[in-house]
Amino acid sequence: MSAAARANRLTPYLFLAPAGIILIFALLYPIGYMVYASFLDWSPSQRIGQADFIGLRNYTNLLTDAAFGESLWVTVKFAAVVVTLEMIIGVGLALLLDRNIRGMTFLRTIFILPMMIAPIVVGLMWRYMYHPTVGIFNRTLKSWGMDEGIPWLSDSTWSFFAVVIADVWQWTPFIFILSLAAMQSLPRSALEAAEIDGATEWQKILLIKLPLMMPVLIVTLMLRLIDAFKVLEVIMVLTNGGPGLSTEIVALRIFRTAQEFQELGEAAAMSNILLLMLMALTIGMFIYTKIQESRAAKMRKAAENAGDL
Amino acid sequence: MLNFFKTTGAAVAGLALTAGIAAANPYEPYEGQTLVVNFPAHPHFDAVLEVLPQFTEETGIRVEVDQLQYLKMRAKQTLELTKNKGDYDLIAYVVFSKADYVYADQLENLAKYFMNPALADPNYDAGDLIDGYVANVGVAGGEKGYLPGATGSLFGMPFGSETSILGYRKDIFEKHGLEVPETYDELLALACKIPELEPGMGGLASRAASGHHASHAFLLHLAPLGGRIFDSEWNPIVNNAAGVEAAEALKTIVECGAEGAQTFGFAEAGASFLQGNSAMFLDSTVFAGQVNNPSKSKVVGKIGWAPHPAGVRAGSQTGGFGIGIPTNAQNKEAAFLLMQWLTSKQADQAIAIAGGNPSRFSTHADADVLAVHPHLEVFGEALKNADPDWRPIIPVWGKINADLGTSLSKVLTEGDDIQTALDGVAERARRIMDDAGYYTWQ
Repeated sequence: MSAAARANRLTPYLFLAPAGIILIFALLYPIGYMVYASFLDWSPSQRIGQADFIGLRNYTNLLTDAAFGESLWVTVKFAAVVVTLEMIIGVGLALLLDRNIRGMTFLRTIFILPMMIAPIVVGLMWRYMYHPTVGIFNRTLKSWGMDEGIPWLSDSTWSFFAVVIADVWQWTPFIFILSLAAMQSLPRSALEAAEIDGATEWQKILLIKLPLMMPVLIVTLMLRLIDAFKVLEVIMVLTNGGPGLSTEIVALRIFRTAQEFQELGEAAAMSNILLLMLMALTIGMFIYTKIQESRAAKMRKAAENAGDL
Repeated sequence: MLNFFKTTGAAVAGLALTAGIAAANPYEPYEGQTLVVNFPAHPHFDAVLEVLPQFTEETGIRVEVDQLQYLKMRAKQTLELTKNKGDYDLIAYVVFSKADYVYADQLENLAKYFMNPALADPNYDAGDLIDGYVANVGVAGGEKGYLPGATGSLFGMPFGSETSILGYRKDIFEKHGLEVPETYDELLALACKIPELEPGMGGLASRAASGHHASHAFLLHLAPLGGRIFDSEWNPIVNNAAGVEAAEALKTIVECGAEGAQTFGFAEAGASFLQGNSAMFLDSTVFAGQVNNPSKSKVVGKIGWAPHPAGVRAGSQTGGFGIGIPTNAQNKEAAFLLMQWLTSKQADQAIAIAGGNPSRFSTHADADVLAVHPHLEVFGEALKNADPDWRPIIPVWGKINADLGTSLSKVLTEGDDIQTALDGVAERARRIMDDAGYYTWQ
């Protein structure tokens, strides 16, 4: 092979190299470090080299740790509830606002404001609103004649609702804005054709808009789900996991394990489990879209063949 | 303020005088050195910063202060202390770090400094230091590993330490002819009587929020009621009769407390008292500085103080901060001189006047100090019962503490059975202790 030909073959790798190097240092190294740390009994007073290697003990401890199990369950419950609510409300709002109203730009800005507020501030804000005596919710309820306000943050069932409401308030706009953008880029021709065929508004939404938006909605769902699994600040400020363990999601448990219990190895093991869960979720979602796409392609092909006849 | 200048002025003059008699200046070899110290953002250390310039003036040793939020301190110190050459010459640490730092050989044993005649001030009067604080924050290696005893030695000095104290509304107590409670029976009866006498007002403002707060409140009651977390062989005994009684006391207090008391942290409990929504307050002395500050308090001039009520024994909490010299410090001898100066009688008084927590008995009885902060007289009495062993200072405590706090929170908010909850805590604590090797010799 001539030198020129070899250089030619190497060129693409050369161009890929910077990205590869960044990937190794910024992504693989920290993850590798975390995986390694999860096999150690490591306190923050030690350097990583001084920590004892204990194999899989951090993981086996976690399997029998009821508190960790409970926080896993709380996380799954929390993510499922908030993401479902946010998808319904967000897409619903987008469908309602997908029209020419005066001052639309202004309205849209107002709608996405919650998303732009720092999570800590959101937590503090809601905490004051949930305050048992001076908070706006309980004051309103009392002025309506209720004797006792709702124990928003001091009852385990209510405090779960309280964090769900705060999260839905903050993140619905994210889904709203993405689905609105998707909706506005839908091909008008399909909708016009449906109108000519006499489709009702509901039929247009269910049979045309939603299926066409599906790829965007799935990505949005993914992003929200990943985020919901990792949410930390708002819950930390609102309830700090309490009462009991009713709102202690895994991210908070990891934070406390590292910070309060001083067990970096166990915290790393927890992070890895969370990472694996999210990976499984992502892969599952990708497989689902792949199946959907291939099915759509098949149908298109069938339609084309039918047209040929 | 005038008083402050007078006393600190006198202190400076006094020190200058002793230096004059000795003819030589012990600080001379270290003149011009710069010490880097790590202090938390905390009312005591804010007061220290007012007094600190005097040290530089007297000794010629400059001091640079790195002040951090106290929860952030641990992470920063962990990084600094594991370096080969550290940047900090003197650090303030919370009492729990004592267990970790001493075990990891990151704090200097102070014996060699107190043995050095060129460094140790013969007039230091270490006997005047509050012994409960020294035992809690400063000494390690004796009984149970974290307490003084025949094998113990000194690794730090108490500086910004705290104990627990009972605050009460003098006006409410006078109005209804109530007696200030001295025992737990009286305290609990009163806590539930007040909401009946003053509708809308809670009895005793206590922390109760899930985790550290609930656990802290429980421990406040556990020691006076005769309980401990572990017996002398590290067997968990938190679920014995005294433990159940302490949890019942906490439950009673929260149920007779102000609205929302189940989720009070330290700040909320304090605010409830300062806003006049609770008639009593039982927690750290660091809170006392706020009650007469009109911008924070609606009860200025209405608060009286009394020692922590006694159960089967009198025992108040010990905690807060100590100062120590990192083993990787660059200027250890000068750091010791600063440490000795900061905890000397004169500086302790000046810091107390500026609003800090004194570490010496004599400061609590000093006329100039009491003229500014009359409540310190009661605190001095209370400190005689300061219990250095009201909670274990061991590395795995964080985990047991969190579990205890969560279980108690369930008792308070979900009505879990107290005995079952504490049995669970004891069982899990045993497993954690076993993992950490505490039963190797059993």
